[in-house]
Amino acid sequence: MTGEGLLSTHTVLQFDPGQFLDVFDAIPRAVWAALLVVVVGLIAAAVLGTLTTRALVRFGVPEAIEGTAFERTAREFDTSTVEVLGTLVRFFVLGITFLAVLSVGNVTVAASFWSRTVQFLPQLFFAVIILIVGVVVGDKVQLVVGERLTGIKLPQIGVFPRLAKFSVFYVAVLIALSQLGVATLALVVLLAAYLFALVLLGGIALSDLLKSGAAGSYLLLNQPYAIGDEVQIGDARGIVQEVNLFVTHVENDGEEFIVPNSTVFEKGVVRIRE
Amino acid sequence: MSALSDILGDLVSDVESVFLFSPSSSHYERFADADMDEELVVIAPENAVEAETYVELPLEFDNVSDRIRFGVEGALERELVEEGDVVACSVRVFDGDADGLVRVRIDESMRSGIYDLFANSRADPSVIRDVFEVAIELGKKGQKGKPVGALFVVGDAGKVMNKSRPLSYNPFEKSHVHVGDPIVNVMLKEFSRLDGAFVISDSGKIVSAYRYLEPAAEGVDIPKGLGARHMAGAAITRDTNATAIVLSESDGLVRAFKGGQIILEIDPEEY
Repeated sequence: MTGEGLLSTHTVLQFDPGQFLDVFDAIPRAVWAALLVVVVGLIAAAVLGTLTTRALVRFGVPEAIEGTAFERTAREFDTSTVEVLGTLVRFFVLGITFLAVLSVGNVTVAASFWSRTVQFLPQLFFAVIILIVGVVVGDKVQLVVGERLTGIKLPQIGVFPRLAKFSVFYVAVLIALSQLGVATLALVVLLAAYLFALVLLGGIALSDLLKSGAAGSYLLLNQPYAIGDEVQIGDARGIVQEVNLFVTHVENDGEEFIVPNSTVFEKGVVRIRE
Repeated sequence: MSALSDILGDLVSDVESVFLFSPSSSHYERFADADMDEELVVIAPENAVEAETYVELPLEFDNVSDRIRFGVEGALERELVEEGDVVACSVRVFDGDADGLVRVRIDESMRSGIYDLFANSRADPSVIRDVFEVAIELGKKGQKGKPVGALFVVGDAGKVMNKSRPLSYNPFEKSHVHVGDPIVNVMLKEFSRLDGAFVISDSGKIVSAYRYLEPAAEGVDIPKGLGARHMAGAAITRDTNATAIVLSESDGLVRAFKGGQIILEIDPEEY
């Protein structure tokens, strides 16, 4: 239909009839359509890839992931994480273009194989994206946790940044696998057990801190006593030197009591006025 | 040429240790790899080169002699060097890499208390540094272009509060601002037109403004010519374990007092 429309326009215009139209007619319509799809696909791939890279740069992603292992590896290959993501988007669009060309061209070789590929390709694409994001975020988490703990010079402390990193990796792999439709039930159960242990053990280990923190947030908000007041908390009597989230520093001549804020609530405070 | 290297040779002959002030990593490695007999000490705001012997420099003193004095004092305190030692200091005088070499003989007069002021005060060194920075900033810019004076009493806040009384309502009551927060510079600048002292706790919390200090001023010996603000600041440090950092309205200098003594005097314009 469209081909005939084009043909009639050309005849009406009387613009260079003859050989050009012969060539146009000689090639099947499907090939022209396929060619159009290829051109559009190539342009879309280039534009979308560049847009992705630009958008990521605009959102400050390169600064945020500076120094992560993935970024450094990417640097070694003279590229960067955002470039890799942009290239991935390009390949994804090219893949879709390829499939579109096949369907336009009515290539019926193993039709069921291609239809499954069409379904599978986006999943694979997102799985790869999730993996990359997971690896980068995991590296970043390791860096941030490590930075937080630099003040503590203990060899064992190195476990925590790694633990955080691999937790993020694990979750990323889990999401990627489930995206691909691989059976992940056992891994999910493992994750649940891990989280449960983390919450339970963390709760037990941090119970005192949590109690003091809750009490401390009340003390900081309402300030029943302030720095400079003379108070008695349990056996500790003196001048308040400092109140923070977890402890209150009470000092008298020669003694400084560091009282957990939970104790302040359990025993109460006596404010001493001459 | 030989005369030049002779001068350099004289400077570094018989030194016991080498002090590197804020070295770049390549600069440090050249010394570390050389395997020298002299002891190598790095003095910098942070231990970026991961040196073994390291003295923290809380403030990037612009004045080279202050910087060296601080480093030497820190090294003395940590017993890295002792009196009578001769030290070669590689320092940066102008922008860029280390460009100066100073030969110093350590004696009693090097102990001015600058290191002590930061390292052995009640308040955290970082808090004292932050207050210094606020005072220097204030001294540079003033309040709307006019010179202002200010008095910060840092550390031992409980006792300071007990030895002072409010001149008016405390604008910092029930607030939780710490020196070093970006908002604080602006706030302190605005509040510096108020009379009275700022009281800052060991951890850097601003406890109060508008405080009238009432310490016993007997036996406080500060240079003549300094006014009531400096006297009050010096006296409160004698009565309590606090450190006072005073910005003078008349000459614009920042001075630090501890134990009733003037410890440090710096010109904000040099920073």
